[in-house]
Amino acid sequence: MVTAVTKEQNAEAAKAVVENLSSRFSDAGVVAEVIAHTSGKAYDFVRITCSPDQWRGVAKHLKNEVGVNYCAMVTGTHFPEGGADRGWEVAYHMYRWPIANVAAHTMTVLEGDKLKGDEIPVEFEIFIPLPAGDTPSVPSIQDIWEGADWNEKETWDLVGIDFEGHVNMHRVLNPHDSPVAFHPLQRQHKIRYHDFNEMYDDPQGFGRKPVDEGRVK
Amino acid sequence: MAEMWITMGPQHPMTHGLWTLRVKVDGETVTDTEAELGYIHRGVEKICEARDFTQITPYCDRLCYVSAMTWAHSYVMAAEDLLEAEVPERAEYIRLMAAEVQRLASHLMWLGAFGPDIGNLTLMTWCLRDREMFLDLLQELGGSRMHYNYPRIGGVKRDIPIGWGNRLKAKVKLFEHRIDEYEMLLDESTIWLVRLQGVGYATAEDQLNAGVTGPNIRAAGVNTDTRWTNPYSVYDQVDWEPAVEKPTSVKGADCYDRYRVRMEEMRQSCRMLLDAIDKIPGGANTHYQPGDEMILTKAPTRAPEGATGFSTYECTRGVSNFYIQGGGDGRGKNPYRLSIRSPMFITIPYVAKTMIGYKIADIPAIMGSFDPCIGETDR
Repeated sequence: MVTAVTKEQNAEAAKAVVENLSSRFSDAGVVAEVIAHTSGKAYDFVRITCSPDQWRGVAKHLKNEVGVNYCAMVTGTHFPEGGADRGWEVAYHMYRWPIANVAAHTMTVLEGDKLKGDEIPVEFEIFIPLPAGDTPSVPSIQDIWEGADWNEKETWDLVGIDFEGHVNMHRVLNPHDSPVAFHPLQRQHKIRYHDFNEMYDDPQGFGRKPVDEGRVK
Repeated sequence: MAEMWITMGPQHPMTHGLWTLRVKVDGETVTDTEAELGYIHRGVEKICEARDFTQITPYCDRLCYVSAMTWAHSYVMAAEDLLEAEVPERAEYIRLMAAEVQRLASHLMWLGAFGPDIGNLTLMTWCLRDREMFLDLLQELGGSRMHYNYPRIGGVKRDIPIGWGNRLKAKVKLFEHRIDEYEMLLDESTIWLVRLQGVGYATAEDQLNAGVTGPNIRAAGVNTDTRWTNPYSVYDQVDWEPAVEKPTSVKGADCYDRYRVRMEEMRQSCRMLLDAIDKIPGGANTHYQPGDEMILTKAPTRAPEGATGFSTYECTRGVSNFYIQGGGDGRGKNPYRLSIRSPMFITIPYVAKTMIGYKIADIPAIMGSFDPCIGETDR
């Protein structure tokens, strides 16, 4: 039977990571804190808030000193009413997992209760608020984690956040000939029937009218 | 010899869906590749901004049409994190069993589609035959064969029917023998071995750095599995071990290792199901009415601005994530932003690059061994 990583191990590892980050970056204004999930097993994760200028430094520290080896996802959000400092936001989700290559014909069987210190898996959430404006931009981390490559392409394609230094940026989900500066997840774009009640008011679809509309029945 | 570009797809047996692989070849050797995705992009993330939290579950079912239950489960976990909902233990057990039955069905679909790629048509008929058993079990839960809309925020839609546990046990025990039959068919087949062994090497560290997870990385000899590294549901209470394969080379796992690890994973799913049906609180032959507190707790319907929910889930093809921000339209009734991380969206471009250096005839074997699914890739 598999032994899972316990809540105590998880809390201890998250705390150690936050101490590490605070000692290195607290003067620069990077905020690192331990937050607990509110459902399931309520495991802890590390939430980091930093500015775009600090991001590359923090990312390299996470990769080389903390051992974060997996960039799970990149999420861009558009806040048209978020104020001057937070018109956009990029959220990164990352993991540290105890993974190393093995020799041929061998395998590593990791057991939760035997993991110590840096081997304990930790989840990271990194928020980077960006100022309001038409040209949100954040430095790319494509060269640090290869896994960020297509996530950043997708975020630019759908949300329109520019990743400085990203090599080979192109449309991935929208058609390649989409209009320049068309990024559908920006809030000014509404889908048809944004409010589903509109759908009930439009039984014919596409705003069409029934042929007998206006006729007395 | 002059190099040239060949376009495989969007309609090609190798693609297992709609996408294009552009291959640059020098004679028969692949020298460069490019993946083009997005043919069936439906804009699920945008649609979800206009739906309330309950209405989103069916959209998440449709992310992957062979693994609907795991995607819906992954979504409700993120929604529970956002809305701070509790889940009764019986519901967690039911969800676990539903997800594992779905994993069996999904891996069988993979094996059934992979066989013809390699030239073994028998395999397709055998796998689809056995997949029916598990689709029937899921149909009893959700009411349909493909998209179940079964998990709810705070529990499940209905309890398992009377007798479901017995049918599950009988089918799983039968299927354990069927796995042995598959192995007899495949592991002694020269064609199968020649086409899979020594092809498509990928090491664990490379794959993780590129964002490839799930069975594909476990084939390279490391038992990373979010079911024990970040345990959710009741995976820490049932009897199982992560399926790990010993890679055959220092260059990492080849296509044969990835086939082996999925066979082992099906065995582990069977083991988990047989254990869970015995341990389920309230007993397997009890049926609680829909909405009973044993299977569903009431969850809030609105999330405040600034609240976030996140889930990490071991889907059949790798780790899927949902990230939800609260505070959307209707005083927080809708998500402000819902973001989906699909394992295959990252894996397909990675696999395209691992093909470089192999022959053009190896492409279906390499691509198929990573189990592509385009529904979740394009979202």
